[in-house]
Amino acid sequence: MRKNARLTHLDANRTPAGKVPVEERDVEIRQTICAICNPFSHCGVDAHVKDGAIIKVEGTKSHPHSEGTLCAKGAASREYIYHKERLRTPLLRKGERGSDEFEPISWDEALDRIEDRLQKIKRESGPESVAFYVGYTKWMRPFVKRLAHSFGSPNYCTESSTCYTATKVANLLNYGYFGPPNLAKSKCLLVWSKNPFYSDTSAVRRLLDARERGLKIIEVGPLITPLTAHADIHLRIRPGTSGALAHGMAHVIIEEELFDVDFVENWTLGFEEYRAYVEGFSPAVTEEITGVPAELIEQAARFYATTKPAALMTSASPTVHHTNGVQNHRALTALIGLTGNFDREGGNYVVPPGWLYVENGLITRQSQYEQSRPWPEMAPRITEQKYPVWSRFIPETQAMELPFQIQNPDPYPIRAVVAFGMNYRMWPGSDFFYESMKKLDFMVNMDLFMTDTCRLADIVLPACTSFERSELKFYTEDYVVWTTPVIRPLWESRSDADIIFDLAKRIAPEDDLMQKGYEANVDWILEPTGLKVEKLKKYPAGYAVKNIEKPPYQKYEKSGFPTPSGKMEFASTIMEEANYDPLPTFQEPKLSPRSTPEVAKDFPLILTTGARLPMYIHSRTFRLSWTRGLRPDPMLDINPKDAGERGISQGDWVALSTPRNSIKVKANLTEVVPPGVINIFHGYSEPEVNTLFEPDYLDPVSGFPGFKSLLCEVKKTEVEKRLL
Amino acid sequence: MIQLGFSFDISRCSGCMACVVACMDQNNLPGDGVAYRHVIQLEKGEYPSVRVSFVSLSCQNCTDAPCRVVCPRNAILRNPRNEIVDVIKDACIGCHSCAMVCPFGAPQFSSEGKMSKCDFCIDRVEQGMEPACVHTCTTRALGFGSMKELAKKKAEKASVKILDSLLTVSA
Repeated sequence: MRKNARLTHLDANRTPAGKVPVEERDVEIRQTICAICNPFSHCGVDAHVKDGAIIKVEGTKSHPHSEGTLCAKGAASREYIYHKERLRTPLLRKGERGSDEFEPISWDEALDRIEDRLQKIKRESGPESVAFYVGYTKWMRPFVKRLAHSFGSPNYCTESSTCYTATKVANLLNYGYFGPPNLAKSKCLLVWSKNPFYSDTSAVRRLLDARERGLKIIEVGPLITPLTAHADIHLRIRPGTSGALAHGMAHVIIEEELFDVDFVENWTLGFEEYRAYVEGFSPAVTEEITGVPAELIEQAARFYATTKPAALMTSASPTVHHTNGVQNHRALTALIGLTGNFDREGGNYVVPPGWLYVENGLITRQSQYEQSRPWPEMAPRITEQKYPVWSRFIPETQAMELPFQIQNPDPYPIRAVVAFGMNYRMWPGSDFFYESMKKLDFMVNMDLFMTDTCRLADIVLPACTSFERSELKFYTEDYVVWTTPVIRPLWESRSDADIIFDLAKRIAPEDDLMQKGYEANVDWILEPTGLKVEKLKKYPAGYAVKNIEKPPYQKYEKSGFPTPSGKMEFASTIMEEANYDPLPTFQEPKLSPRSTPEVAKDFPLILTTGARLPMYIHSRTFRLSWTRGLRPDPMLDINPKDAGERGISQGDWVALSTPRNSIKVKANLTEVVPPGVINIFHGYSEPEVNTLFEPDYLDPVSGFPGFKSLLCEVKKTEVEKRLL
Repeated sequence: MIQLGFSFDISRCSGCMACVVACMDQNNLPGDGVAYRHVIQLEKGEYPSVRVSFVSLSCQNCTDAPCRVVCPRNAILRNPRNEIVDVIKDACIGCHSCAMVCPFGAPQFSSEGKMSKCDFCIDRVEQGMEPACVHTCTTRALGFGSMKELAKKKAEKASVKILDSLLTVSA
C-alpha cells in the first residue's frame, strides 16, 4: 500500500496497488473503449480490475483498430476516472450564476425540477426557446437530438458548430457525398493541415507502414508536424490561404493538362468558369499570397496529379477555421475531382454513413431516429436564415449564434439550455458568451467535473466515463462493440443515456419509442444491420461482422452525384441560390496582412490557435497531473527569429495581443512555427485564448470561427502575481 | 544470460508521449515530475530548412553502468537473474550521485528521497507481457526483447530496404 499513499491526487480508497494481472492477485481484465477523443478513434481498452476498482489500463492487443495502443490521454484514463474533482451527486445552485455555491440534491429532485422548469418555459414561450446542446464526447448525440425534437424544440446544437460540419458542407456542395482517403490502396497522400500523430493515434501505425512500403506524401500546413519528416514535399502556407494554394495547384494541373479530361467533361458542372478563375492563380501569384515557393507549388501539383491513385486527407477543422472556411475547403477538395481521384480505389472512397461518424458499410437508422419530428412541425431554427447553406446540410442549429440569441426576441428568445458537456470557452469571444449565459432563465449541464460552465447552471448532473457505461461503437475494420461497464458508475454518477431516457419520460412522454428505454432504442437504430444489443453483449471486446457489403467505386457512373445537377459542381448551384459565390473563390481572412494592412501595422504576426498537443484534447485532460505535468504552462509557439527581434527568450512571460484582448502566456521558441506565425493551444481556463477573438469573427457560409487566422503581436512582459 | 533491452526507431517516433504516461500508470507515479521515461523534441536548422525529431529515453540498463560504480552504499547492482540494473531501496541514501553520472537522466527521486527508475517492467516481462511503454507505443517506435533478437530484427528491416532499392534500380 506504500505506493498508494503517494497517489494523493487519486481517491486512495478506490485504487489498490498492483501492476500485473495474474490470477493469484485476483486481477480480472475487462474490455471497454476509451472515449476521450474523436469518434473514429476510440481505442480498445483492457481494464485491469481488482475488488471492483480499476488498477491499470492498457490497450487491447486484439482490437483490430487500435491494436493495443493508447495515446497519452487514454493511458491517463485511470486518473480521469478516479479524479477527486469528479462530480459525485446532482447539485442545485444556491448562489449567483457563476459562483461555487451549490448543494447536493437527489436524482429525483433534480429531474423533477428540470421537468417543472422546462414545461413552464415551453408553456410560456414555446418549446423552441429551450436549446439542447451536446459537447464532447459525442456518443449520446442521437438520443439528445431525438429528445429535443420530441420535446418540440428545433434548437438542438453541438460542438460540431465549430468542428467538422463546415468541411462536410464544403464536401457536399462539391460532390453531394464524400469519402475519406482509401489509404491501403493509395500511392500518394495529400495531407492538408492534419496531424494524425496527435489527433488520431490509432491510425498512424498503418500510415507509417504505408510510407515504408513507398507511399508518397505531400503535406500542406504552416506548422511542422511529426508527419513532416515523412513528407516528400511540405507546403508551409500562411494560415488562411489554403484556397489560394489549391487554386495555384489547379492552375498548374489544368495548364499542363494533367487533369482527368474524361471525368471533367462528363461529370462536372462549371469547369469553364473554374478554369477561367484559377487562371488568375499562377505559381508566382500563388507564392505571393501563400508564401509557398512557386517551384514547390508546381512540383506538388504535378506529383499529386500524376501519381495515381492519389488520396486527399483533411482534418475536421483547420481548413475551415477561417473566415473564408467553406470556400477554402471547397477549393482544395475540388482537386480530387479535377484529378479523377473521387470515389476511386486508392483515392477518396465514398462509404455511406453508419453510426456516429464511422462508415464501415453497415447501414443504420440513425438519422431517421434522430429526427423524431419533421422540421415543418417545429418553429424554424434560430440560424436557418443566417446560415441557409449550412442549415440545409446540417440538421442542427449553429451554436455560435447562441450568445446573440439568448433573450433576443427576434424571432424568439433562447431562455433555457439543456447541455451535455458544454464548455463556454469553445466560443470565440468566450467572455461574451459567458455574460450572455448569465441571462438565461434556466440551465442544466451534465459533466464529469465541476467546470466553469457548470457553475453557470441551475442544476448540475454528474455523468460517468466510458468505463462505467454501455455504448454502441462502430469501427471501420468491420467491427462493432456494445461495451459492458467495467466498474459501476462511481458515487451517484450515471450514464448520460440513463439521464436522457429518464428525462424523456418527463419531458417527451408522447415519444413511445423513447419510453421503451436505451437498449430498445439502440435495437431500433440497428434494425437494418440485423444486429441486436442482446447478441452484442455476448462479445464484450467486440464483434467482427462478416460479409459487410462494401459499396462499389465510381458510384456516380450509375446514379450520378447527389447534387442538384447530378454532377460534381465546380460552380455550386446551392451557393448560387443562396447568393454566395458559386465558385470556390478565395478571400483573404477578415484580418490578415493583405486584407487589413492598417491593422497589421500594430499586429504584424498571424495568430493560429487550436493545433493539437499530444497530451490534451481541448480542455478534457487539463486537470490530470499525468498529462498536465508534460506541459504545465500555457505557452505560445514563436519562431526564434521573431522572438529575437522582440528580445524574447525561452520561457519568458509575454503578452499576446489582438485588436480585441491581450493575454499573458509563456514563450516557447521553436522552428515548428514559421517566422511571422504564432501558434497557441486553446482551452486553458487561465488565460482564455478565445477572448482574443471577436464573437462574430465567423465564416459567413458556415458560422465557423476564424480560430486559425487572426492578427496579433507578442511583447515581453512582467508576469502578474496572480499567474504565479 | 539473456541481455534484455529496448529498441527505438527514431524515424517512427512522433513525440506523442503515450509511453511516458503508460509508464506513470504502470508504476503509480504521482505525476509531479517524476518520470521513468522522457521524450525530447530535437530541432535542427532554421526556416525554411528544419528537421524536427523526437527521442524517447529511459534507463538503458547499461552493461558498465556508471551509477553502479559511484553509488557509495552499493545500492545499485546488476540483478544476476535478469541482468537488470537494480536499486535496493532500503540501502539508497538519496545522495543523487547516480543521477550526476547517468548520461540519460534515468535516476528519479520521489518525495521520500530515494532513487527509483525504469526496471523494464520486469514483473510484466516475466509474465510474458511487454513493458507498458512498448505496449502502448502509437507508432511502434519502441520495441523490447533480447538484444540479440532486436539486432536481428533491425538487420532484417534494413535488408528489406536495401533489397527493395536494388530491385527498383534494376527494374
